[in-house]
Amino acid sequence: MPERQQPPAQPAPPQATTARWPAAADRVHIGKPIERLDGPDKAAGRAKYSYDIIRPGMLYGRLLNSPHPHARVRSIDLSAAEKLPGVRTALALKDPSKPETARVRYQGEEVAAVAATTEEIAGDAVRLIKVDYEVLPHLATVEQAMRPEAPQVFEKGNVTPPSLNEEGDVEAALKGSAHVVEGLYSTQVQTHTSLETHGGICEWNGDQLTAWVSTQAVHGTREGTARALGIPQSNVRVITQYMGGGFGSKLGGDLWTVICARLAKAANAPVKLMLDRKEEHLVTGNRPSAYARVRAAVDAQGKLTAIDAETWGTGGAGQGARFPMPYQVYVFPVRRQRHRDVYINAGPQRAFRAPGHPQSCFVTEIVMDELAERLRLDPLELRLRNLPPEADNAQWGRYFKMGAERIGWSKRHPTGDPASGPIKRGLGCAANRWSGQGVPRSRAECEIMPDGSVVTRVGTQDIGTGTRTLVAIVTAETLGLPIEGVRAEIGDTNYPWAPGSGGSVTAPSVASIVRVAADAARQQLFAKVAPTLNVADPTTLVARDGRVHVQGDPSKGVTWREACKLLGTEPINAPATWQQGLSSIGTSGVQFADVEVDIETGVTRVRRIVCVQDCGMILDKLTAESQCYGGIIMGLGFALFEHRILDRNTAQMVNPNMEWYLVPGMSDVPEIDVTLVDQPERGVVGIGEPPVISTAAAVGNAVANAIGVRVRSLPLTPDAVLNAIERERAGGTL
Amino acid sequence: MPSRKKDEPGFSRRTFLKTVGAGGVAAGVLGPAQTADAQGARAVGPGAVPIQLNINGRVHKLEVEPRVTLLDALRTRLDITGVKRVCDRGACGACTMIVDGKTAYSCSMLAIEAQGKTIRTVEGLVQGTVLHPVQEAFCDRDGLMCGFCTPGFVVAAAALLEQNPKPTIEQARKALDGNICRCGTYPRVLEAALNTGGRRA
Repeated sequence: MPERQQPPAQPAPPQATTARWPAAADRVHIGKPIERLDGPDKAAGRAKYSYDIIRPGMLYGRLLNSPHPHARVRSIDLSAAEKLPGVRTALALKDPSKPETARVRYQGEEVAAVAATTEEIAGDAVRLIKVDYEVLPHLATVEQAMRPEAPQVFEKGNVTPPSLNEEGDVEAALKGSAHVVEGLYSTQVQTHTSLETHGGICEWNGDQLTAWVSTQAVHGTREGTARALGIPQSNVRVITQYMGGGFGSKLGGDLWTVICARLAKAANAPVKLMLDRKEEHLVTGNRPSAYARVRAAVDAQGKLTAIDAETWGTGGAGQGARFPMPYQVYVFPVRRQRHRDVYINAGPQRAFRAPGHPQSCFVTEIVMDELAERLRLDPLELRLRNLPPEADNAQWGRYFKMGAERIGWSKRHPTGDPASGPIKRGLGCAANRWSGQGVPRSRAECEIMPDGSVVTRVGTQDIGTGTRTLVAIVTAETLGLPIEGVRAEIGDTNYPWAPGSGGSVTAPSVASIVRVAADAARQQLFAKVAPTLNVADPTTLVARDGRVHVQGDPSKGVTWREACKLLGTEPINAPATWQQGLSSIGTSGVQFADVEVDIETGVTRVRRIVCVQDCGMILDKLTAESQCYGGIIMGLGFALFEHRILDRNTAQMVNPNMEWYLVPGMSDVPEIDVTLVDQPERGVVGIGEPPVISTAAAVGNAVANAIGVRVRSLPLTPDAVLNAIERERAGGTL
Repeated sequence: MPSRKKDEPGFSRRTFLKTVGAGGVAAGVLGPAQTADAQGARAVGPGAVPIQLNINGRVHKLEVEPRVTLLDALRTRLDITGVKRVCDRGACGACTMIVDGKTAYSCSMLAIEAQGKTIRTVEGLVQGTVLHPVQEAFCDRDGLMCGFCTPGFVVAAAALLEQNPKPTIEQARKALDGNICRCGTYPRVLEAALNTGGRRA
């Protein structure tokens, strides 16, 4: 979900609310380290993910993917596949009679599908499908696509016309500045590598479709699937009780769900279609590459003056790669960005945890260090001199000082570790920001039963972030019950609408709306209880420690069960509509890296990461901290290892697996020091994206501080480090 | 044994493994005695064959094609789905089981090869409804997020602690290095493995 651009210094205006968060001193659950509710089911192997569900009579689907990065399908012959014993149905997904739609534009694009009684037979059947391709010229790299003589592979051109953002006279400002840094910076394509691949199970009952899908958006999947199938949304139910990671790649109605539904319809049986690991890398999205030719300037007093960025990048076939320059933390009074998207024949990008931000942060933060270098100024000091005015969601100055203390910044040596021997150590830092606000259309309902049991229903989903637990925490807090006293029902389109879990909107949306629903249910219960307590004004009652009583007088009250018994046979069912003020917009955070680099082998080892991060009011300290660990470790992968490599001649991905596409493992993980800053007065703000943003930038700056040579591209692999050292010897990059 | 050409249906990495196992290609690299043994072995497949697997103390009888992995046999034939399929080629550890006392990637072992062996999975660590101390520690320390890698990590950690009840940090790291987590739970997984049996302070 794209972030809404919002200047950091403007928090959302508070509006009149009826539901509020309890005062800090009154909180029983909120902000405490609370174990996630589904932990035992996950740890015991009982949790059933979409990949695990087996339906009676279920078939297994497989896809035939194009081996060519660019081709036209001339014919598809399914007959041999259809004749194989065990095969129930086969579908052509390209129509050769329509030349334009019969094109494939990247390796792995779906061409045909089968469903069979076993996965092995489905695999055999796919190999029996005969496809005649007219192979067309392709573009494997950004450089190839940008050449004037490149074949025009995409209808609207391989390169989009530049879009311009300009504030002030850049050329004049650069000319009048004391120091100007110029360089070309780049970041690589990163794949999401969710452990549970995309896919699910589709089962028809007449014209009603039930789909168990590995998705970050049950409602979005229902909408997209119904639209693609041309059936009413009311005929589709999507269920996601557990899902094995998405990171932005599972935000909507996917083609694979639609294919699965069509196979199930044609075979008249439930079908499971899960992508395999290679397909997952090729077709389910990625973080686009980023290139930036930058000129940035500073005056003699260390005030930033101007930045000019010519940027481009590729999101593969037909998808954009925009990222903002400069990264909107430091104030460049004069700025210009000219951006072009480049299309190549590779799988299209999708939202990836903080879309655009890690790229933008890396380039800007490396430039900041280079400017400080020119000024012979501590890079932390340069940052402190160029921050926007402090605000609730703009606390970088404070956090930089806190982080500097924790990493031992005062002992930082100037660029280039003077120590003898091949192991060089260095420190670096970087900042991040994200909006992470609640989505106002979110809905929920809270039901209190006459026997005292409680259920809160929200059509959100838990993608590993702890959403199910947050629903229970907020419900229990509001009703004065233990966490075990309430049920949280999520992950089903039969529950009230909530947004897809992307853009860090889930916690602020869901926690706020659940608070409103539980508060409304509580008010209804108080109205029932007030007469029996001889209380005229139900709003003077409170629910606490399993009792409903008069505020300030726990003895004048009844137990929760007694209170609920007054409902007779009718449960309370309180729906909720959005109220402002329970969540707010914007986080700020900083990270520091302590690294060592072996200048003989080029290997970088990160020793320590320090993270100082806020996210408004902390709901669950345990899961909020886990988000920080997780973001940092994913950022470490972006910094050092992860790289989707396409063969420059064939446009085939050479590492579509997990032994050559490297994500961090246990031994790669440094000591991570997380300080979460609680801002209870702000309400909830999401924390999914922020921690991933600045790790690579901090590591990049630390590597330069260690080796005395600037590596301006990611990932910081041994060859990249050694090449930079070599170039420095041959003439210099600094 | 009926031979298949590479472009015929049914030829896959696993068919190749089976071919190797049953004689054929392997004969060239085996010593004389082993060659005789291999040639004397009865070839099975490619159709489904009856097998028995001893999983979590219970014997399961099932029919699978010889090319079916241990992982897939459990997941798709026996509905034992705690073990996950992630990379399907021995790189990520999500399918980790304990086979004859040692951790094994069940995606890289054929079901027929696992006959006669003692197989333990994440489900087998639970006693009735009581979680294994390692499982408790994962919950207590939040050593899991989306949870898809968790069963593999839990099994690897349990196997480590059976061999070495008091591992050092380095020993624990090494024992858990064969498992991949994408959510980034490593620091807390390590904490869970090192503090199994103790509660958070």
